[in-house]
Amino acid sequence: MTEGNVTASITERKPKRQSRVLSYLKIMVKDPSAALGLVIVVAFLGWSVIQGILEFLFGTSGPAIALLPHNPFQYNLVVGLHPPDSTYLLGTNANGEDILSRMLYAMPRDAYISIIVVLSGVLLGGLFGIIAGYRGGYIDEVIMRITDAFLSLPALILVIALSVLFHETLGGVILALVIVWWPIYARFFRAQTLRIKNLDFVQAAKLSNVSFLKLFFSYLFINSIDPVVAYAALDFGNVILTYSTLAFLGIGLEPPIPELGSMASNGVGTLPTGWWYAVFPGLAILIIVIGFVLVGDRMQDIVSNRINY
Amino acid sequence: MDSRTIAFIIRRVIYAIFTLLILIVFIFTLIHIIAPNPLALARLYAGNPHASQSELIGIEKKYGLNLPIYDQVINYIKDVFTGNLGYDYLHDQPVLKLISEYLPITLEFVLTGIVLSVIIGLFTGAYAAARRRKPADYTIKGIYLATWSMPTFLLAAVLQLYIAYDLKLLPATGMVDPTLKPPPNVLAFPLLNAIYAHDWIYASSVIHHMILPTLSVALLSFGVITRLTRSTMLDIMDMDYFRLTIMKGIPRRHAVYHVALRNAAIPLVTYIVLAFAYAMGGAVVIEDIFSYHGMGYYIVQAVYNLDYPGILGTTIIIAVAVIVANLVADILYGILDPRVRLE
Repeated sequence: MTEGNVTASITERKPKRQSRVLSYLKIMVKDPSAALGLVIVVAFLGWSVIQGILEFLFGTSGPAIALLPHNPFQYNLVVGLHPPDSTYLLGTNANGEDILSRMLYAMPRDAYISIIVVLSGVLLGGLFGIIAGYRGGYIDEVIMRITDAFLSLPALILVIALSVLFHETLGGVILALVIVWWPIYARFFRAQTLRIKNLDFVQAAKLSNVSFLKLFFSYLFINSIDPVVAYAALDFGNVILTYSTLAFLGIGLEPPIPELGSMASNGVGTLPTGWWYAVFPGLAILIIVIGFVLVGDRMQDIVSNRINY
Repeated sequence: MDSRTIAFIIRRVIYAIFTLLILIVFIFTLIHIIAPNPLALARLYAGNPHASQSELIGIEKKYGLNLPIYDQVINYIKDVFTGNLGYDYLHDQPVLKLISEYLPITLEFVLTGIVLSVIIGLFTGAYAAARRRKPADYTIKGIYLATWSMPTFLLAAVLQLYIAYDLKLLPATGMVDPTLKPPPNVLAFPLLNAIYAHDWIYASSVIHHMILPTLSVALLSFGVITRLTRSTMLDIMDMDYFRLTIMKGIPRRHAVYHVALRNAAIPLVTYIVLAFAYAMGGAVVIEDIFSYHGMGYYIVQAVYNLDYPGILGTTIIIAVAVIVANLVADILYGILDPRVRLE
């Protein structure tokens, strides 16, 4: 990108924004696999918004379960471990609770956690990464060594250790995920800041005495965001994978609220006689994550200009 | 070895120690934020919510929890570097001793799985590159996208369901047939112990139980290798020396799988470590599903019982394992590819 380009995109940013998102979408749906990913992601997020609001307002009864095929909390031992059929599309668990309903009830939570973690990761990573890249010197060195330390360790192990320290509450799990998730974004932002900090429009802003906050957000942050967005799209899936693994291990659960990972974990216990209990929640996670991966893959192509359009 | 290589190695070693230091200080700070006074700290170290007052005071004395904070940091770092990871009151044994029992069991199947994933990854990657933009390329991409989007527990559960429960080819759970008498523990790794003692029945039982966990690790992590091999291969196949090889009349199959693949394997070194770190995380779930008693089992036990010394000790040891693997990879890469040393 030339300097002229950057300045142009800055001045024209506001009026063009709408059309840019639309044109990205158009490019995206041209690729069948990315279109499939987009369908999955939109369905998942759409469901999560609707059901999530209902759950937030009504908890575990009434309208909160009105959209579900069955009551996800209704014990019915007569149909315990009922195989999938037309009444119970994905079967029931050992207590006779409908698995599809429980999965649908659990999904909004995964969506919100992944959004919280990725957004906090982007903001924190942006803060540290831009400071590191902009200031340079020993601040840069220290921040980069810290990100190195985090990135070289298995994320899952670190998240488990932190959530245990935070007493295995849901809030603790989210905090642990955020702590482990920002370093990669700090790397992205630092690289971008190094690229743009000596360009004319940033120098001009500095000379015209723009406040640090404005310089930070409207100049450095906004202009670093493209590769970050592409990676973040893919990263929602990573958060959901990690969170469901924690739930599988029994961390961060809030009974009786069902959780995809913990359903799979209970299902493993009844695997030989009721395969559907472990397999379907796992499959749901797989499909959601693949959706994000396909969208993120395509977005990375778009951002890095590997597509002619 | 010339002086530049030695300087490079020393620099890498310092980086590795620094990384470990950051992690230790970070965990230390975190513990002190969570437990701001000595008694709360002692309760944390006890790993037992019902510890009595006198026990807590004993722990406080033993670990010097009422010392000034900078003394405590120094002590903590010293402890970690001398291998004192605290005492696991839950199992009534030092954490390091427990880990020295559990770690080899995990490493045994994780490392085997990684070797397998490198083999699968190299060949699928090369095959995909050789058939670029053809159905085989897309199929391979589809498969590895699916495996790395897959929750570990789904993969392990499906393998267990299909191979162990349905086809009854392999045992579903456990590490070895419990009726067999274990050979003397000489080499820490159960399989090596059995081979060392020439106990072939025991060894074959261990291998039978190891196949499914190993396969899970391999399937989970081969995608990283496949993707990297494919893109490096494509770069190499665009280079002049590769064209020259083709023009010399060397069969394409030989050019791809011998000339190009050999050169593509070098940058893999760092990615193998990445796969290893990822697999160590996945091992927790894999061990849980296959009832394997390694590090993952220890971590899960610690999670259920809020056993802080256990969880911190395992985290630090796994971190050390990954950091050492990283160090070895960096040095190896520097020796294999002289350009890296110059940076």
